[in-house]
Amino acid sequence: MIPSITPTATPRKTALAKFSGHRLLTSPGGLAGAVWLAALVAASLTAPWWLPYKTEDQDFTAVLSGPSAAHWLGADELGRDLLSRIFASAAGTLGTSLITVIVGVGLGTILAMTAAASDRAEGIISRVTEIMMSLPGTVIILAVIGAVGTNIPLIMAILGILISAGIYRVMLGQAKSLQSQLYVDAAKVDGVGTLGISVRHVLPGLMNTVVVQSALIFAVGMLIQAGLAFIGFGPPIPQPSWGGMIQSASQHVYDAPWLMVPSGAVLALTVLSANAIGNALGKSPNAAASHLPSAAIRRKRAADAAAAAAAAPAVENAPAAGQLSVRGLSVGVDGGTPLVTDVTFDVAPGTVLGLVGESGCGKTMTAVSLLGLLPSGVSVTGGQILWNGKNLASATEKDLEGIRGRDIALISQEPMRALDPMFTVGYQLTAAIRRLRKAGKAEARAAALSLLEKVGIVDAQRILKSYPHQISGGMAQRVAIALALSGKPRLLVADEPTTALDVTVQAEILSLLRSLVKDTGMSVVMVTHDLGVVADICDNVAVMYAGQVVEGGRTASILDNPRHPYTLALLAADPHANTAHDMPERLATIKGQVPQPKDWPAGCRFAARCQFAGSACAVPVPLLPSGSEDGEVRCVKADELAVEGLGWLATEVPTHRVLEIVEKDMA
Amino acid sequence: MDVTMAMFAAKRLLMALATVLVVAVLAFLLVHAMPGSPGAVSLGAGASQEAIDDVNQRLGWNDPLALQFFRWLGEAVQGNFGTSLIDGRSVSADLASRLPVTASLAAGATVLSAILGIGLGVTAAVRGGLLDRIIGGFVGLLVALPAFWIGIIFVYLFAVQSSVFPATGYVPFEVSPQDWALSLALPVITLAVGGAAFIARQTRASMLEALQQEHIRTLRATATPTWKILYVHALRYASLPIVAGIALQFIGLFGGSVIAEQLFAMPGLGQAVQSSVSTHDAPAVQGVVVIATVVVVAVNLLLELATKFLDPKLRAS
Ligand code: SF4
Repeated sequence: MIPSITPTATPRKTALAKFSGHRLLTSPGGLAGAVWLAALVAASLTAPWWLPYKTEDQDFTAVLSGPSAAHWLGADELGRDLLSRIFASAAGTLGTSLITVIVGVGLGTILAMTAAASDRAEGIISRVTEIMMSLPGTVIILAVIGAVGTNIPLIMAILGILISAGIYRVMLGQAKSLQSQLYVDAAKVDGVGTLGISVRHVLPGLMNTVVVQSALIFAVGMLIQAGLAFIGFGPPIPQPSWGGMIQSASQHVYDAPWLMVPSGAVLALTVLSANAIGNALGKSPNAAASHLPSAAIRRKRAADAAAAAAAAPAVENAPAAGQLSVRGLSVGVDGGTPLVTDVTFDVAPGTVLGLVGESGCGKTMTAVSLLGLLPSGVSVTGGQILWNGKNLASATEKDLEGIRGRDIALISQEPMRALDPMFTVGYQLTAAIRRLRKAGKAEARAAALSLLEKVGIVDAQRILKSYPHQISGGMAQRVAIALALSGKPRLLVADEPTTALDVTVQAEILSLLRSLVKDTGMSVVMVTHDLGVVADICDNVAVMYAGQVVEGGRTASILDNPRHPYTLALLAADPHANTAHDMPERLATIKGQVPQPKDWPAGCRFAARCQFAGSACAVPVPLLPSGSEDGEVRCVKADELAVEGLGWLATEVPTHRVLEIVEKDMA
Repeated sequence: MDVTMAMFAAKRLLMALATVLVVAVLAFLLVHAMPGSPGAVSLGAGASQEAIDDVNQRLGWNDPLALQFFRWLGEAVQGNFGTSLIDGRSVSADLASRLPVTASLAAGATVLSAILGIGLGVTAAVRGGLLDRIIGGFVGLLVALPAFWIGIIFVYLFAVQSSVFPATGYVPFEVSPQDWALSLALPVITLAVGGAAFIARQTRASMLEALQQEHIRTLRATATPTWKILYVHALRYASLPIVAGIALQFIGLFGGSVIAEQLFAMPGLGQAVQSSVSTHDAPAVQGVVVIATVVVVAVNLLLELATKFLDPKLRAS
């Protein structure tokens, strides 16, 4: 019932602009629900003018009758017209349910905003709402009815108070994140009071959730109200109510079961409508992708893989064993946007290839595609990934399962999140070893210990018994590396393995990887944005920009003699690649951002940020030999620049960037 | 059980006691706000004012509220909730005979809805595609249908059309376990439908969230079989919110039993609330509110401890 919420906070929008009404219109269910509710309200309010009968009119010839020309929905045990009674009582039911919505959502929102504004208030409010949520609400509502009688509006208001605790719980997280947004801090400095901040900045951000919750609580209110009427606590007797009608129908389920249908259907439709509206508005637009596609998607992929394998030519001049050859690889979002286009590189056994570039260049997608581990909704759209005579780009899930861990292993950026928080290190490691080495229990345990020692963990016994949250980030990355080594892989894909770690730990992990390469002879594909890492460990480099390789070759020649303007810019912008006398103030930056795939131009994708861009750059640029060793570069002006010896010009560094660099250096 | 866990349990226990106390005060005040003095209620219409005053005097109705409350509390902690104004029977004895009915109902419905809900939710999340949409639509419909309406349809289908189950009534377990189960079947199913839909949604969302976690990719990268990723790792990760959802559901079902008991003529707590509220039977209302709260709070406490036990971060620190 509680919808997922994605806080989307941008400061200068009105509350109305925030309310994503268009989502309602684009969802058939939500739209139908809105139409039904509107029609019901209109019909009910105008009821006196068009209803065929008064609610109390009795037609003794039609007692307990089904639908007929005179009574479209039949008549009840006193011969009263059901259609008239249902529509006449609609406005009352909807109106009183609205009371619950206003009280419940209103109070819940106020409580959430208050709690978000002060830690002390949060402590108290959270305690109180926790108590409220663990109460048998129905029983308490009945006790209230005992005290105040069947005063429906008052009872619905008290119901709202009980419900507000749940609303508070749903909204608190979002309200807190809004409160902590930068612009709120700015407002505080400007002398805006707590109330002002809540009303002007936090409330608009909560608006969509408020509407979603209102719709859902509206439905709950109607159900509870009908339930109360059903057990005899509805509006006073002659007055019709939906629950009361179902109650009297239930008395005749033996002789006139039809009576159950009209009132039940109208109630269910109305509740469905409110829920549909809530769900349509509450749908989070871009939920994070699953790392294990559903069975339906996996089936489709298997079919695609089979088709591709049947259609593709046999693998020609297959690379040597242990050599990875990626040919013209393209990766894209299913049914549209490309993320990586035409990427080609080779990794020889025992060598390290660096995939370098800013975030958003497709490095990680390229890397995880090597194991067939693209998130759901993203897949390989073309090209080949050749490994041991197989094309992994069109391999079945079953083939890939035989390769993952045993041939190609993965370590990722955030070691803490890469380990399962629910299981001990020992469990995860021994399970992998037993699976990948077909080892017995005792054997696997011994292997786990020796692996942990191999990755430089001293008290391996203790670590085996620990849960991931009990060890440090650097330790977790060592464990993750041990896990990756458990199948004795020949290729290790490392996605920014040091980025999330402290500087000193970074160096340790890098030297561990270097010694592993030397000792085991495995090769590594290292994704990084840090040219220092590249200089440190990589034999070869592929510089990626906007889904393409823009320059590739031997590390030494590219770092010493960069040919592509993007590589020049990266080098100029990297404080660690510069020599010591370079002050941060004079450090070059690359203006602008990596373009989104939808904004990729037909010509050179770097053109918008390139200092050397000209009219020749507007046509698609091929990747051509650069002339230095086996390097390649994708730039029409590469030769010209090399001849003229032009470098990337330092530009003004924005202050925040200087701070960032200084902080990084001090860390 | 280490120090953190013990402290956590102690804190929760304190909160539970506070909750019950708050409800006791609330119930006491509500009962005092009911129309009609105890004397008027118990003697019925047509009683002389002197007789009414006499009864009120005897029950201490005119004493200060605080004094009355503590007198009641003193008796209540010893398990004595006074006597009914309507039939003069002991409220405690009456509730003691009713508690097993409601407890069987709520427990049965919770277990059933957990089994159905987890099954449906996991299936929807794991299978995806058309099946996911079908389950989603079905669950959406069940959430929108009021329990009492579903209950009546069940009565019509299984008791009127084909007399598989008795339409109404309750047979105590001691009398005949088989009839007990049969008499519970329809009310339990009726209550479980909505609960199952709720838990199915919760389960589906939690499973999908679990599958978005990065450690799922690590498991795949080490060639973990799909069934193991789904049913050992993802389900384990999702179990925390699912169990919390089940705890919430129990509270709802306990309250929902009011309707099921009315519909199926079950002599449980819900029926007692309904009738004592209608007749303004103050001691009975007060007793049943407190007992219902104690049960709900206690079960909730247990389920919450279970949730925390599932979380390694809280279990082993
Ligand atoms: S092709 Fe033109 S725009 Fe692109 S990098 Fe080279 S000089 Fe710059």
